[in-house]
Amino acid sequence: MNYTFQFNVVWRNFDALLEGAWLTLQLGVFAFTMGALVGLLGAAIKTYGPWPLRWLVNLYVVFITNTPALIQIYFLYFGLPEFGIRWSNEACVLIGLTLNAGAYLTMILRAGFLSVRRTEMEAGETLGMSPVQKIRYIVVPHIAKSIYPALANFFIVILVMGTSVGAVIGVDELTGQAINLSTVNYRWLEYFTVIAVMYVVLTFIASLGLALVGRWAFRVKARIF
Amino acid sequence: MPHLAVNDVYAKYGALEVLHGIAFEVDRGEVVSLVGPSGSGKSTVLRTLVGLTPVSRGSVEVDGTSIDYRSGRALKAARDRMAIVFQQYNLFQNMNVLRNVTLAPTKVKGRNRREVEEEAMELLALVGMSDKAGAYPDELSGGQQQRVAIARALALKPDILLLDEVTSALDPELVNEVLDAIRRLAREGMTMLLVSHEMAFVREVSSKVVFMDKGRVVETGAPARIFDAPESDRARDFFGKVLRG
Repeated sequence: MNYTFQFNVVWRNFDALLEGAWLTLQLGVFAFTMGALVGLLGAAIKTYGPWPLRWLVNLYVVFITNTPALIQIYFLYFGLPEFGIRWSNEACVLIGLTLNAGAYLTMILRAGFLSVRRTEMEAGETLGMSPVQKIRYIVVPHIAKSIYPALANFFIVILVMGTSVGAVIGVDELTGQAINLSTVNYRWLEYFTVIAVMYVVLTFIASLGLALVGRWAFRVKARIF
Repeated sequence: MPHLAVNDVYAKYGALEVLHGIAFEVDRGEVVSLVGPSGSGKSTVLRTLVGLTPVSRGSVEVDGTSIDYRSGRALKAARDRMAIVFQQYNLFQNMNVLRNVTLAPTKVKGRNRREVEEEAMELLALVGMSDKAGAYPDELSGGQQQRVAIARALALKPDILLLDEVTSALDPELVNEVLDAIRRLAREGMTMLLVSHEMAFVREVSSKVVFMDKGRVVETGAPARIFDAPESDRARDFFGKVLRG
């Protein structure tokens, strides 16, 4: 291999990469949080809702999980303006990722809904709790604890694979920044080597944060290393 | 007027009718026990009273007012009057002991948290669990969990406490700690309706015993009368078997 790595260019523009990483983290956290709310609603409807609503949720899940996130975001960015709806590229990525994550999380959270002990729900019922209170105080803590690893994994998927889709419609998250910068001086390999390491560091920080939150808030017995 | 009157109640699980016209009464301050073979519908009676199993015919009256189990408001009112403790304790696994007890009074009743916590600590003391207020259910023995479940039910200040085979899931050596808690409540004048297989305890604590078989009440009377001189063949046969051992 005759290639000579020149990382100097990368270090000179490292601030821009850090900004990109920060945006990646923000997009990931926001899309996951909003997606989790959508997923919670979807899972609640799939478990307790009337059939027309269940049918709608099924349609949404099937439609989203069987099409690529890239195409969904393309549709929002290039398709919606045809109907007079014009969102910024960041908004398109956020909304697209939220809808995408929401569909997957509907399925993941549904497993949590189904594994709640019926007897705990009955206890809540006889103590006079409303359906929303039962979900909030019995189902959600149960889900958080019992399927925490699956949720944490999915967060990493959104953080790494989801957010990088933003690059194609000009959102300057980590991948987008690397593409922008490397088109200036053609140091593709250096930039992409560095951001690969940055993604690993990012997911490591995120995993650590998730494990600490899980232990503290939900008594998840998560191993950090 | 009886405190609780169950009038000719029928109930079904799906297509299977499990109660075929149950009737009995509970007076204020009384401890009434439902006894009988497994599958006789004793637990179902308690479940219908708190609206977990629908009543298909008949009526339930509390202080002379009939409860309409189809109306959400009436059901909520009924659950204010009657609290149930389950065989499997059914504590909220993700909350500590204190939170298990305070959740319904604070979130359902919207009462002041401080005040509720003070009362909860008193209730936990009553069942001998105040030193475990910060523990989680999976850190407790069955007997301890069941005592917390009793405190949780009492926290809503029910008029009538329903106890569904509360010692059946416990190791024999843990049974007494739960029975002691119930004895203490009986002494304090709590109205209770209990389903139990602890015949000696039923005899000691009850003012009235209702013997059930196959979804019907076979006979009702004072514990000494029912245990020592049952009138029906079915009761004689049942007590002959369970009391001999």
